[in-house]
Amino acid sequence: MLKKTAVQKISDLAAQLMQKGTLIAPVREDAGFNFREISDAGQVDLNFYNTLMSPKSAFFPHMEDFVRYQTGKSVLDAVPVEISIKPAFLFGVRPCDVKSFEIMDIHFSGTGAVDPYWQKRREATTIFGYAFDLNTPADGADFYATLGIGAADPEGSDVFMMKKGDELLLKAVTKKGEKLLAEMSGLTDASPEDQKYFDETVATGRSFKTRLTCVEAKSIAKKFEDLFHKTPFWERISDACLSCGICTFVCPTCYCFDICDETLFGQGTRRRVWDACMFTDFTLEASGHNPRTKVYQRLRQKVCHKYSYHVRKYGVISCVGCGRCTRACPVNIDIFSIVDQAMKE
Amino acid sequence: MSSDNPYIPMPVEIIKIIDEVDTHDIKTFRFTFLNKADEKKFKYLPGQFAELSIYGKGESPIGIASSPTEQGYVEFTVQRAGAIVPGLVTAALHDMDEGAKIGLRGPLGNSWPIEFLEKKNIVVVGGGFAFTTLRSLINYMLYKDNRSRFGDITVIYGARTPGLLLYKDELAAWEKRDDIKTIITVDKGDENWKGREGFVPAVCKDAAPSPKNTVAVICGPPVMIKFTLPVFFELGFSRENILTSLEMRMKCGIGKCGRCNVGYKYVCSDGPVFSLAELEELPRDF
Amino acid sequence: MATSFKQIEENLKNEARKLLEEGKVSLVLAYGRGYDEDHPVPFVARVVADVENMVFNEYCTANMARYLVRYPRGTKMAIAVKPADSRAVVQLIQEDKIKREDVILLGIPVIGMKNSKTGEVIDSKTTCGMYNPVLYDVLLGEEIHGQTVVSPYDVLAEYETMDKDARFAFWKKEFDKCIRCYACRKACPMCYCDPCFIDQNKPKWGDKSPQSHGNLMYHLTRFHHLAGRCIDCGECSRACPVDIPLYLFHKKVAKECEEMFGQAAGKSIQDKPVLVNFRVDDSDKILE
Repeated sequence: MLKKTAVQKISDLAAQLMQKGTLIAPVREDAGFNFREISDAGQVDLNFYNTLMSPKSAFFPHMEDFVRYQTGKSVLDAVPVEISIKPAFLFGVRPCDVKSFEIMDIHFSGTGAVDPYWQKRREATTIFGYAFDLNTPADGADFYATLGIGAADPEGSDVFMMKKGDELLLKAVTKKGEKLLAEMSGLTDASPEDQKYFDETVATGRSFKTRLTCVEAKSIAKKFEDLFHKTPFWERISDACLSCGICTFVCPTCYCFDICDETLFGQGTRRRVWDACMFTDFTLEASGHNPRTKVYQRLRQKVCHKYSYHVRKYGVISCVGCGRCTRACPVNIDIFSIVDQAMKE
Repeated sequence: MSSDNPYIPMPVEIIKIIDEVDTHDIKTFRFTFLNKADEKKFKYLPGQFAELSIYGKGESPIGIASSPTEQGYVEFTVQRAGAIVPGLVTAALHDMDEGAKIGLRGPLGNSWPIEFLEKKNIVVVGGGFAFTTLRSLINYMLYKDNRSRFGDITVIYGARTPGLLLYKDELAAWEKRDDIKTIITVDKGDENWKGREGFVPAVCKDAAPSPKNTVAVICGPPVMIKFTLPVFFELGFSRENILTSLEMRMKCGIGKCGRCNVGYKYVCSDGPVFSLAELEELPRDF
Repeated sequence: MATSFKQIEENLKNEARKLLEEGKVSLVLAYGRGYDEDHPVPFVARVVADVENMVFNEYCTANMARYLVRYPRGTKMAIAVKPADSRAVVQLIQEDKIKREDVILLGIPVIGMKNSKTGEVIDSKTTCGMYNPVLYDVLLGEEIHGQTVVSPYDVLAEYETMDKDARFAFWKKEFDKCIRCYACRKACPMCYCDPCFIDQNKPKWGDKSPQSHGNLMYHLTRFHHLAGRCIDCGECSRACPVDIPLYLFHKKVAKECEEMFGQAAGKSIQDKPVLVNFRVDDSDKILE
């Protein structure tokens, strides 16, 4: 099913989705675009390249409350926070970011213990993917195509959207998407010409270029295993690294978290909060032992985790080439350049 | 409490506290479950651990010191941390009395590989405080219905001083039994110490267990492990037949939070028990 | 006439090569090629061959002084310093984090540096606005004179019109954006505490979650830890992924310090850190 509407009328679409549940969509902010829960349909703005923060927070928010407790009260008085999940619509997600959900699924709900928060939010959410504009060259930091992700890949989305002039085409990819589109008013049926445009864009998107280096998951994974002990390489790679947490926070596939008891005036919440392997105290044990006191050890963990450990454990690279970490890094460190240099070692 | 949410602890009550050592910074806590259903659900094997959970302080991953053959309670031997990093949970626990209620999440991690150990001779080597899950294993193997499943059992346990030996009553009881060979050693004895003096690696060398159909299960401080492993290599133990339990900072305990990631393993869910062969395959990042 | 970036890069390479060849230093802290021209990275040259990878252009904004404390005391280092960076080195010497004799300062007079994220020209609005390093051993370009000197505190004019409540509201709104990535403290040459107070769990000064109270605790405490120490390089603000104008507060505190004690941070190695040093004639305004 392919439908269309005028780009100008996306606020109508947004308003309808807000009737059905929570709408999370890109909005313009001081430092760039971000996915936010929409309170006013007019806020939704599709004139963005990509958001500063990844859309992972729709399923894995920066903080997630587990339990409320009171200081001095018994453990029996603590109250688990209900996982209240409403139907949600995640609107305007770039194909590389859609891919990230699949990678995170393997970790959070596909292997071992199931994370109930991730799983329930995922199930309750309809994803509106959104093709990159193929008439504009990719940002210099992006390398999703290198990782085999097309600039207009509909896979993983429930509904996939792309611009055609001043029209927005909406394609139902899954049953869930189909049902939803059928219920929406204000959409018109697309013409055979639109259908042709859609199919061609998806195909062209597959050969859309980002940075050109061919990577193959298995060989990179092996390379990093071999490189682990080459301390001079890692020291050189991390000379510039400040060991802050930006790269991990903006990353769509970084999932490390801390569990914190935060108490204010006797009222406490046990919650999980995003954490970063780049922070010094991430692996500091109660004994005082810390296996990663040095910057190079932490950066090595980050890179190897994404490109080696994750491949061996889950079979996929834990990176979608969205370029966020590179764009956000205060000192312009580029993870893909690290991979590139590693392969030349 | 929610039963399908792995992040929510089960309530337990401290029914017994044993002050284990003369420095009074290691105590064994015996807990019972406040909900019967939780007790039924808490099926564990020696070598597993759980998160001791105190709201307002946090959670601490601690190896289970009791054996699943002991009914009605679960025990943890806990050292008060804080010499370098303030250990909020262990300090709070140490300040608690019998009757206090806390939370417990678990059982977590893999276990000593019981099936692999069956029909084999077992040499258990422990040092200092790291004897807790070994005690669980020994009591499990000595349990009347289990003893015949295992071959000869040898225990070599050392501490810096006699006062630092854990589970003193049990050690004495094991020494009296003839179905387990117990060798206790201290680095340095005191005026009342009539037992053996010497470091664990040297004692292992003296005891010279045969590698034939034998598995060594070794836990101790890094320096003990470092000098004990060569002894076992020399005795002819293969890397597959040397097992240990790895320490790494953990939070979630279920392989999600990423903290204890070492190579392609999560210590909390793929471990903490690894054979030396498995460990050597991991990057030295722990 | 300011020396061209290309010429500065040439001079930097020559100087670095010489120092490494003569064995006077074991490393040179400067800038190297990034993933493209507009995104150079901080770079450490350890051997002569590394020098080829050095660059200098208008996007080399990183304050290399931040990396000095990473190396063991006594390591002989050369460091490329722009004006604010040189002040950071001076301040680190004052605070005895490094020794004067261990560092060779390769001074770079600058005009027209640009923020690599936004392309905006960096001037006295977000930095100290100086053109020439305050301390150097070698100068890699002609000193710049005759340019308009704008007070680094001019940018505060609007901020200073706000009353106490308005300022609090302003900062609360800004800090609500904070995601606690700690890029500000990590980019800061004067933030060398390990562990940082906010990471301590006993006492626990502030929550880890990015909420108002913890964010306020972190930023306000950090601001005050930098009182009289901030050398106004603006790195914290450029590092911030959510554009919190941290420089405003730092400049305000720096201005107050300068007015009260007659001394700006990192201007002279003869100075003592202003809040560590007691003089009988010190202003009592702070107690009023």
